[in-house]
Amino acid sequence: MPELRKDPVLGRWIIISKERRKRPTDFLVEHIEGSGGFCPLCPGNESSTPPEVYAFRYKEGVSDGPDWQVRVVPNKYPALVIEGDLAKEGVGLYDQMNGIGAHEVIIESPNHEENFADFAPDKMALVFKAYQERIIDLSKDPRFKYVMIFKNHGRAAGASLEHSHSQLIALPILPRMIVSELAGAQSHYTYKERCIFCDIIRQEIQQDERIVCQNDRFITITPFAPRTPFEMWILPKRHSSAYFSQSEADILALAEIFSETLQRLSRCIANVPYNFVLHTEPLRSGGLKHYHWHFEIVPKLTSIAGFEWGSGFYINPMPPEEAAGYLRESYKN
Amino acid sequence: MKKILLVDDEESIQIVYREEFEDEGYQVISALDGQTGLAKFKEDEPDLVILDIQMPGMNGVEVLRQMKMIKASVPVILSSAYQEFKQDLGTWASDEYVVKSGNLDELKNTVRILLGKK
Repeated sequence: MPELRKDPVLGRWIIISKERRKRPTDFLVEHIEGSGGFCPLCPGNESSTPPEVYAFRYKEGVSDGPDWQVRVVPNKYPALVIEGDLAKEGVGLYDQMNGIGAHEVIIESPNHEENFADFAPDKMALVFKAYQERIIDLSKDPRFKYVMIFKNHGRAAGASLEHSHSQLIALPILPRMIVSELAGAQSHYTYKERCIFCDIIRQEIQQDERIVCQNDRFITITPFAPRTPFEMWILPKRHSSAYFSQSEADILALAEIFSETLQRLSRCIANVPYNFVLHTEPLRSGGLKHYHWHFEIVPKLTSIAGFEWGSGFYINPMPPEEAAGYLRESYKN
Repeated sequence: MKKILLVDDEESIQIVYREEFEDEGYQVISALDGQTGLAKFKEDEPDLVILDIQMPGMNGVEVLRQMKMIKASVPVILSSAYQEFKQDLGTWASDEYVVKSGNLDELKNTVRILLGKK
């Protein structure tokens, strides 16, 4: 019989369809080669991008020169623009404002061919450090309330260019997902005076059914009510609501577990397209007792169709306990 | 006389653009698909390219990336009826992105600026 499961933070229901149960090899992943040709993100082509807003170079170099390891540039053709006032207004029932925001691209490596999942942890840490630096810088702009950081890997997950990159959008409003997460977490805190994510971590360690891997500082789990097969969350074990406040040692430990998590995923399903999104507190929150920053990794293995759009229920053919089992075993094979 | 290569699968666009840009004093050569556009880019050595995105076969972004491999210094303007292709980071290889409109002033100005820079 299928099972309905409720996400404890969002109150979102998921259908775990055990009848449609699948093994990792049952998921068909179409490997699409990159189209090749000139790449605007490669070293030497810096003039194809807007001037960098951040870069990491081992040796001191010229801004927009080619010796970078990680480079962050504004989007050349942004959906939101950085200059101007919000000019909020109401038109009858409807609210509107100018499309102000920052849209940036984090170029994760100078190497066009290198896959993010194959980065060594110290190299991946440079990317996570860049995320921190950009959040700190953008938080100085009072027009922005939230910085959303995400990665699309693979065409099916929305990546348009094969050169490894992630994106950042600073928004003048809080995304609905974060509003819902904050509200769910606040409700738990009001009742129990504990962070719901800290409670989840405690319970997952106790039950030991959905843990994928862990180190001293972080844990990767398949959540109790995942939207897709092999959805994973990476959470700091110590309570923290602000991603930007992590120490260098935290960032290296994050890179280690992130690298291991993606390696496990790709050993289960080669070339799997995925998205990951950083969930962190709104800018200038000053630290929240009820919220806990984390990454959510969502492989693109199922499609959202009429039922999901109409009902808001996701159908997942892979129980998270089984997914965690496959992911744990993947390192032994 | 500066030479513009126009790559667009819409014949009506070809007719209008040719007339307008010839009136501006440019020589206009054209192609109705990406493969032909690429071949003309190599053979005719244009000073500037106006390139549609949504075309049968090779799309404009793929054509753009090939053109820039061949000769990066030739300015390429992506010209599409749709804004949403801007989400494709491959479009960054272009020098400008102009949304198609019945009024060609913006496109003409962009051509003038890019050819002036050369």
